[in-house]
Amino acid sequence: MENPENTGLCKESIFSDFFKKHAKSLRNHLLYKFGNQEQAEDLTQEAFIKLWQNCIDVPIEKAKSYIYTIATNSSLNSIVHEKVKLNYKNSYSHSDRSNESPEFILEEKQFKDKLLTAIDNLNEIQRVTFLMHRIDGKKYAEIAEELGISIKAVEKRIHLALVELRKEFEYFK
Amino acid sequence: MEENYKLAKWLNDEMTDKELIEFQSESDFHLYQKIKLYSSELEVPYFNEQQLFSKVMEVNKEIPEVIAIRPNWLMRIAAIVVIGLGLLYTYTTFLTTSEMAGNGKKTSFSLPDNSKVVLNSGSEIEYEKWNWDNNRNLNLSGEAYFKVAKGKKFQVITNLGKVTVLGTQFDVKARENRFDVTCYEGRVKVNHLHREIIITKGQSVSFSDGKLLYTENEIATKPNWTTNEVTFNQENLDQIVKELSRQYNIEIELKNAENNQLFTGTIPTNNLKEALQILSSSYHLKSKKISQQKIILELINDPK
Repeated sequence: MENPENTGLCKESIFSDFFKKHAKSLRNHLLYKFGNQEQAEDLTQEAFIKLWQNCIDVPIEKAKSYIYTIATNSSLNSIVHEKVKLNYKNSYSHSDRSNESPEFILEEKQFKDKLLTAIDNLNEIQRVTFLMHRIDGKKYAEIAEELGISIKAVEKRIHLALVELRKEFEYFK
Repeated sequence: MEENYKLAKWLNDEMTDKELIEFQSESDFHLYQKIKLYSSELEVPYFNEQQLFSKVMEVNKEIPEVIAIRPNWLMRIAAIVVIGLGLLYTYTTFLTTSEMAGNGKKTSFSLPDNSKVVLNSGSEIEYEKWNWDNNRNLNLSGEAYFKVAKGKKFQVITNLGKVTVLGTQFDVKARENRFDVTCYEGRVKVNHLHREIIITKGQSVSFSDGKLLYTENEIATKPNWTTNEVTFNQENLDQIVKELSRQYNIEIELKNAENNQLFTGTIPTNNLKEALQILSSSYHLKSKKISQQKIILELINDPK
């Protein structure tokens, strides 16, 4: 009979591969959900520690749902939601930047700042789904599988999120 | 019903050429375009994976072997005393757990049986973790939405009344002299003064100053203060202003306003300008911003 200590997550190389595959994704998910960077990392750490300690009892195909369940139900979750820390990439790939007037650049900055606030004001469900698509680059099918919902449900959340975001720019001109 | 979530399709570049041309001619297309462009430029802060992995691996996984020590009566007594003190400390320190949501915030958390609670701004809950599965009672001041896992009797106790459920989803609001309970799933028993009412999914009951205001049927699946809105049913202006103060974490003072007319409607909790506008036009008020933390609402004097 197979000794789970040798073939499952208890084997360090297998655990390590699993970690490399899922840690960042889990931490991002928690960051989108709760906003607090330190908390997202603490929850991720706690989830993986529990997985490591219970490696004998968790089959590898259940491991992903295990860590997400541990992380989202942790007692650390009582921290109040904070504004989600996101940055804009410094992409100076627009080669003709010199064509843009100072007014345009200022307007652009204002729009981007407002967008961050708008994203933070989305309800948690829409925000998490939206950012999984925009930042993690996950396809709708992937998001659906991870969140345990249908692709249609993902599309609905994205659609509603966009509608909500656009509302914040009602008076932006 | 097949719903076409066209914006989702567009964001994923799945629109047909015809749909795309049609969308591009809409007046707010450029706003969506900007949202799409800038949101794709977002990134998360740096995450040191290697460091976190090291911390995980540092944790001692070894189950210490039990080694029999030479029986020593002094050691045994010392051990019992230490355990006793430890238990006493745990019992008294962790007797009551409390959760709260300050103004302008909401707090979500899980109870030991996996029931979920969302606290509205300016609310607090106290409960005992120990033996929770057999004794699911908590004290609430303010407002909270509950999703109760199946199990033994679950009670929410407020200073205005009590709500008892089995497994279900409901909202309890206990603010000053106003007591509202709405059931979204299952059945809920409400006790207020000498009255006991049982409500089921889609029903809601409200008391104001001890008087039964109404019972009604709700269509929503969960209270909308959990998303960016709050709905009022026949509430007086004073209560509404207080709720908005909590939601926006800002002081709003009412001056000379006539308090008698009751308000029924929905007010956003993420757009202060719009919220104030709705109140001002309903009650004939003018809003004045005194500072970052304070706004005054006063009655407009019509020159006769």
